[in-house]
Amino acid sequence: MQATGTLADRQSRRPAEARRRRPDLGRAMTLAGLAMPAIVLMTVVNAYPVVYAGIQALHDGDLLNLGSFVGLANFRDALTDPLFWWSARFTVIFSLCGVFGSWLVGFALALLLKPEFPGKSSFKILLLLPWIVPIVVSSMSWNWLTATPTSLLPVLAQDLGFGRVMFLADPTMAMITVCLFKIRISYPFMMMMMSAALEGIEPNLYEAARVDGANSRQQLRYIVLPMTARSTYIAWILMAMFSVNDFATIYLLTGGGPVDSTTSLIVLAYRSVFQDFRPGYGVAISFLMTGALVTLSIILFRQIRRANIA
Amino acid sequence: MNESNARRSGMNRRAFLASTAAAATAMTVGQKAAFGAEEIKFWDMVWGTGATYTAAAKELVGSYQPSGDNLGVRYQSIPWANWYQTFTSAAASRTTPAVSSGAAFLPFYFIEQGVIAPADDVVAGFDKSGTNDFLPGVLDAMKTDKGYAAMPWSMDLRVIWVRKSLLEKAGVEAPTDWQSFIKVGEALKKIDVVGLGLADGSTTTDGQHSVSALMINNGGGLFATDGTLDCVTDRNIETLDFLNELVRKGIIDPYAASYTSDNVTRDWLSGRVGMGFGQTGLDKNFPADQRSDLTVISPIKSTRGDKGTVYYINPLMMFKTTASQPSSEAFLTWYLDNMKVFWEKGVAIDVPVRKSIAELPNLKQNANLQKSIAEWQPVGKTIGAQAPRPFGALNAVDGGGAGAAFIQQIIEGKTASKQILETLQTALEKVVK
Repeated sequence: MQATGTLADRQSRRPAEARRRRPDLGRAMTLAGLAMPAIVLMTVVNAYPVVYAGIQALHDGDLLNLGSFVGLANFRDALTDPLFWWSARFTVIFSLCGVFGSWLVGFALALLLKPEFPGKSSFKILLLLPWIVPIVVSSMSWNWLTATPTSLLPVLAQDLGFGRVMFLADPTMAMITVCLFKIRISYPFMMMMMSAALEGIEPNLYEAARVDGANSRQQLRYIVLPMTARSTYIAWILMAMFSVNDFATIYLLTGGGPVDSTTSLIVLAYRSVFQDFRPGYGVAISFLMTGALVTLSIILFRQIRRANIA
Repeated sequence: MNESNARRSGMNRRAFLASTAAAATAMTVGQKAAFGAEEIKFWDMVWGTGATYTAAAKELVGSYQPSGDNLGVRYQSIPWANWYQTFTSAAASRTTPAVSSGAAFLPFYFIEQGVIAPADDVVAGFDKSGTNDFLPGVLDAMKTDKGYAAMPWSMDLRVIWVRKSLLEKAGVEAPTDWQSFIKVGEALKKIDVVGLGLADGSTTTDGQHSVSALMINNGGGLFATDGTLDCVTDRNIETLDFLNELVRKGIIDPYAASYTSDNVTRDWLSGRVGMGFGQTGLDKNFPADQRSDLTVISPIKSTRGDKGTVYYINPLMMFKTTASQPSSEAFLTWYLDNMKVFWEKGVAIDVPVRKSIAELPNLKQNANLQKSIAEWQPVGKTIGAQAPRPFGALNAVDGGGAGAAFIQQIIEGKTASKQILETLQTALEKVVK
């Protein structure tokens, strides 16, 4: 059959094509109909709260009333508030520690656990415990370890000659403690991700490298890191999201204090909405966070594409 | 059923649908009558000793027998976690109960929003029956432009407790003014005991209550007499200077900046804390054989010679969502007349606000409570001091983010008093409009 024909030919073919299309249209409508409840549900569950939150961010109400329309005043107030920028700074520090600290520990453990040895599975399960134990329990135990002068770690620090170390009451130490706590509860996730990535590397590659005279460091640099780059980027993206949105780790351990030193953006948003009763302001902070996270995700995903590694 | 049969029985499709709808409506109305209108709901926070208080309150409400056409009452315990969201969500969806206890300043916010009914008729009822024996100033503290926001049922009064044995060990007497407080604190410091026990982690309001008490002690407060925010005053600066001296001399523990309420309670129990502000039921945390070691001292004088402390009046409010306002009022009046069982059973740790309860035999024997009622309650004020009356925005002042950072700055001891107060003023201006 020729691809083209006269106008009359094309007109004569139309009814037949239309007949052929009709079942497709019906099928599409059926599928759309079947998907409609899910679409409606997703809209109600996801879109409605977001739209309502957007409306709240443009008003100065409280938890009971929407209040009056203030335009972008809440966003302007946030961006001109020193506490917002301090919180943004701490969020970056906390996230960087969370991502790279837990990645370093998790990756190191994944490498150590790669060879087979007796009791490997049990050891892996033990290492997963910080991730498995509920955050409330972990934070309580860290409070017992660090909060008072008679707690274990301050006593230990004193005995070791470090003087009186206030792990949670001193602003700088509180930041360090919170970051270490984050690394502790997050490294098992990284360990699992990197273990899976390491399993994907063909053993032949290591053998070939050894034959060519590559030492362990060179194997790490030229085989392991490039071959796990895609998983690493994905793990970083996920952990960055987890860290920026991590409310419980900070709030349960320090509540954002002392003197706001460990206040991250998510803690600031929570406090604005539920302690200061300024939902518009709190939601505006959340939207600014969302914008930053989306931007970060786009950058990292582009990085993955550029990495171009299977 | 075919068409001919339907005709014979007088039932066609339209009649069938109509009768189904009628049955459904009847069932709905019946259900409403059965489950909705026969009872009103009473929400009660977890007060006092916790589970034992709740059990006692549930038992008390269960014994309520409504008179006349009044409705019965169903008890529901409400946890403190996310209390503000619980109440505001209920108010927004019009699912609030008929009567509820709640946080001290919640009624002032709700009456401003028109969510609760004023308790004027309940107060009038007590006046009429001659049973209005509320402690001086307590009812007045509930007054607003729209009437009484709620009825008071108990008072969280902050008093200074000391551990007698630790003071004896340090060789000092209980303080009577700020200067002697510093001297006693220094003596306690020498035996490694904290002179002003505080908990000021960012998730507790304990430290804020203590500092508010001292600010009121010096005739200060966060507000001017016209109700506007006024944190940076000479009296408040003096109070912060006093606190700064306590910090510099090690009388306040720097670890307090991250303490939870549990942390400071454990320090009281272990003998690490020798003095501090606490609720009138602080001794209930102690084992029975150690309780006598704790004593409430008389209010201390500030450098200006003033006395004072902070209190929070625990309210009972009536929501407009009630199925019957007379039933709400009848229950509230009955509850206030019968709540003495909480003190008889020892499940309430706050001060009773009625003389008839304060004079119960077991409370008469409680020297600490009697001293609190006789000496501390009359000099107490709310955190709204020096404003003429409480208002809704105090919910955000009490427990807001600004308050915790304010006390932590004091404990840090690095910033000048005036600057700390200026920071507080700026932060509070955002939440008090």
